Amino acid sequence: MMRVAWAWVRGARGDRTAQARSQETGMWIRGVYAKETLEAFRDKRSLLVLVVLPALIMPVVTLGIPYLEQRQQHMITTTTPEVAVVGKAPNLIHLAYTSKLIKPVQTTNARKALQARRVLAVLELPPNFEALVARDAQPHVGVLYDASNPESVAARTRVIDLISRYSQAVVAQRLIARHINPRDLLPVVLDERNVATQRQLSGLLLASLLPFFIAMWAVVGGMSLAVDEAAGEKERGTLESLLVTPPTREAIVVGKFLSVLTASVGAVIVVVIAMMVSLRWGYPYVLHTSQKLDVSLPIGTAIVMLGVAILFAALMSGVQLAMSIYAKSPREAQQFITPLYFLTVLPALAVQYITEWQSAAWAYILPVLNTFFAFRELLLGTVNWGHLILASVSSAFYAALAVELAIILMSRESVIFRT
Amino acid sequence: MSITPQVRQPDRAGRTESGEGRQLLVEARDLQKKFKSYHAVRGVSFTCYSGEVFGLLGPNGAGKTTTIRMLTTILRPTSGSARIAGHDVVHEAEAVRRAIGVLPENAGVYGRLTGREAIRYAGRLYGLPRDVLEPRIVEIADALELTKHLDRLTDTYSKGMKQKVNVARALIHNPSVVFLDEPTSGLDVISARSVRDFVLRFKAEGRCVILSTHVMEEAERLCDRVGIIAGGRIRSEGTLDALKAETGKDLEEIFVAMVEESIVT
Repeated sequence: MMRVAWAWVRGARGDRTAQARSQETGMWIRGVYAKETLEAFRDKRSLLVLVVLPALIMPVVTLGIPYLEQRQQHMITTTTPEVAVVGKAPNLIHLAYTSKLIKPVQTTNARKALQARRVLAVLELPPNFEALVARDAQPHVGVLYDASNPESVAARTRVIDLISRYSQAVVAQRLIARHINPRDLLPVVLDERNVATQRQLSGLLLASLLPFFIAMWAVVGGMSLAVDEAAGEKERGTLESLLVTPPTREAIVVGKFLSVLTASVGAVIVVVIAMMVSLRWGYPYVLHTSQKLDVSLPIGTAIVMLGVAILFAALMSGVQLAMSIYAKSPREAQQFITPLYFLTVLPALAVQYITEWQSAAWAYILPVLNTFFAFRELLLGTVNWGHLILASVSSAFYAALAVELAIILMSRESVIFRT
Repeated sequence: MSITPQVRQPDRAGRTESGEGRQLLVEARDLQKKFKSYHAVRGVSFTCYSGEVFGLLGPNGAGKTTTIRMLTTILRPTSGSARIAGHDVVHEAEAVRRAIGVLPENAGVYGRLTGREAIRYAGRLYGLPRDVLEPRIVEIADALELTKHLDRLTDTYSKGMKQKVNVARALIHNPSVVFLDEPTSGLDVISARSVRDFVLRFKAEGRCVILSTHVMEEAERLCDRVGIIAGGRIRSEGTLDALKAETGKDLEEIFVAMVEESIVT
C-alpha cells in the first residue's frame, strides 16, 4: 500500500519509471476491481444483501416497530383496565367509574386472578377504609401488579392516579372544612415549554437510529464479497492462477479492497436513503404523533456524513478482507467476521449512553467509536471541526493499516497455503 | 534394485548435450523447500529448453507441485536457485511471471464470468492492449473449440471446458514457458485427449513445457525428457529412451522402483 502510494508520489514529481510503474499498477488495480465488481453484480445473494434487504428492512424497522409500539400504547391509554378491588369504598369506586381510570371488579381470589391475567391489577383496601379516611387515620392501601406484563404496569399507574385524585379530593374537602382555600397550597404554578426545534428533534431521532444501521450495513454490505474474493478464491482454486500473473500482491489486494468498499458504501447509502424516505414520508401516515417532525438532512451534513461513513466502511472492508485472506475457507472467514459485526454494532448502540466522552478529543481517535461520535455531532448540529478532522484522519489511518495487513497476509506462503 | 539420479547440468551459456541449438528456458539448481520441520523438496535440479516437454513424474506428495510453485514464484525456495527465461525466480519474480503460463493443479474458474470475460481478465492482468487481446481471445477459443460457448457463464461449463478456459488463460499472453500441473486430473477421456493434443501443440510452437503428472502413459506420449521425483528428490532424469536403455525396464517399472527406493531411503 505504502509502496503503491510512494510510486504514485514519485510519478507525480516527474519520475518517468515511477510514472510507468504507477500506470501499470493502476491498470492491475482497475482490472481486479472491474472483475470483482462484475462478479458481485451477477451474484444474486450480494444484490439481495446490498439492495433488497436494506430497502425492505428499513421501512419495517423505522416504521413497523414504532407503529406496533404506538399501537400498544394507544390500546393501553384508551382501554380502561379491569382492576380487582378488595374491600369496600363507595366514594372511591364512584370516582373510579366517573374518571374511567379503572374498571373495578369483584373476585373471590384477587391475587390468583392477577396471576392468571383475568384482572390487570389488585387494589387492596383495609376494612372500614372510608371511615378511617374520615377520621384522618391515614389508612394504607395496597396495589398488586405484574411487572412482566406491560398492561398490568399501565393499570398500576392508573390505580396510583386514582388514589392520588381521591386523596386530592379528600384534602380539598378538609381544607374547605377548615376555611382554607386549596389554591393556598399551590403558591407557584409551573409552566414548561420545549424550545427544541423540529430539526433538533429529528436530529435526535436520527442520532439514535442512523449510526446503528450504518455500522450494521458497513459490515454486512461488504461481508459476502470479502469472503468470496479471498477465502472463496482459495476454495475454488482460482487464487493460485491469479498469483502467477504479473500484478503485485499490493495491486491485487487494493483492487479487491476497493470492490468490497464499493459494496459496503453502496449498502450504507441504500440504508440511509431507505431510512430517510421511511421517516420523512412514512412517519406522518403511520405514526400520528410525528406529523410535525421535520426528518431531513441538510446537503452539507449529508456530504460530510458520507465522507466519514466511507472512511469507516474502508476500515471495515480492510479488516474483513484481511480476515478472509487469512481464513482457510469461506466458512472460516464468516466465523472470523461475525464477531467483527458485534464489535461494531455495540459501540454504535453504546455511544448515546457515554455522552460524557463526546467532548473529549481522545474519543475521536478511538477506532469505530470515533465515527459514531462524529455522526452524533453532525446529526445533533453540534459539529466541532477539530473532532471531525481527528475522527477522519484516524479512521483513514486505521483503514490503511487494515489494507496493509491484508497485503502482508496475501504475501505470506503460510497464509496462502494454510490448511 | 536402485537407479542413481542422473542430472545433466547445463553449462553457463545454457547449452547441454540435449539442448544443442535451442534456448534454455528453465534451469533449476538444487531447489529445496522446507515447511517448518517438513522437508518437501530436498534438492531438485533440471533444465528444459524451447520446443521441449519435460515431465515431472512422481506419486502424490513427492514434491512435484511444490517444485512447480517455486518455479512459478508462488513459493520462495529455502535454498537453491532457478531461472526462467533468464530471470531469477526470487529476485526477478515479476519478469518470471510475465514469461510463464501456468495451469495449477485443481484450478477452478470464475463461475459468474463468461468464458470470454475470464480469458479477457487474464489478458488485462498481463497488460495486453484491447486491440491485441480481443483477436487473441478469438484465436485461442477457436483452437480450443470453445468459440460457441465463449459467452456462456463458466458455471454452466463441463469440467473439460473449464480446463480449456484455464488453458486459454494461461496462454493468452503467448508465454515461452508453460507449467501444467496434473492437467488431465479428473477429466474424461475426450477432454484429457484434447489437453494432451494441446501439450504437443505447445511443443511444436517452440514453447518449453513443464508437465507434472503421475500418469505414466501420459508421460510416455508427451515428454521428451522426464525427471522422476520421489521423497522431494529427483531420483532419475533423462530421455525416456535413455532411461529405458539404462535400466532395461519400462517407465512404469522405473517409476515404481524409484518410489520404493525413496521410501527405503
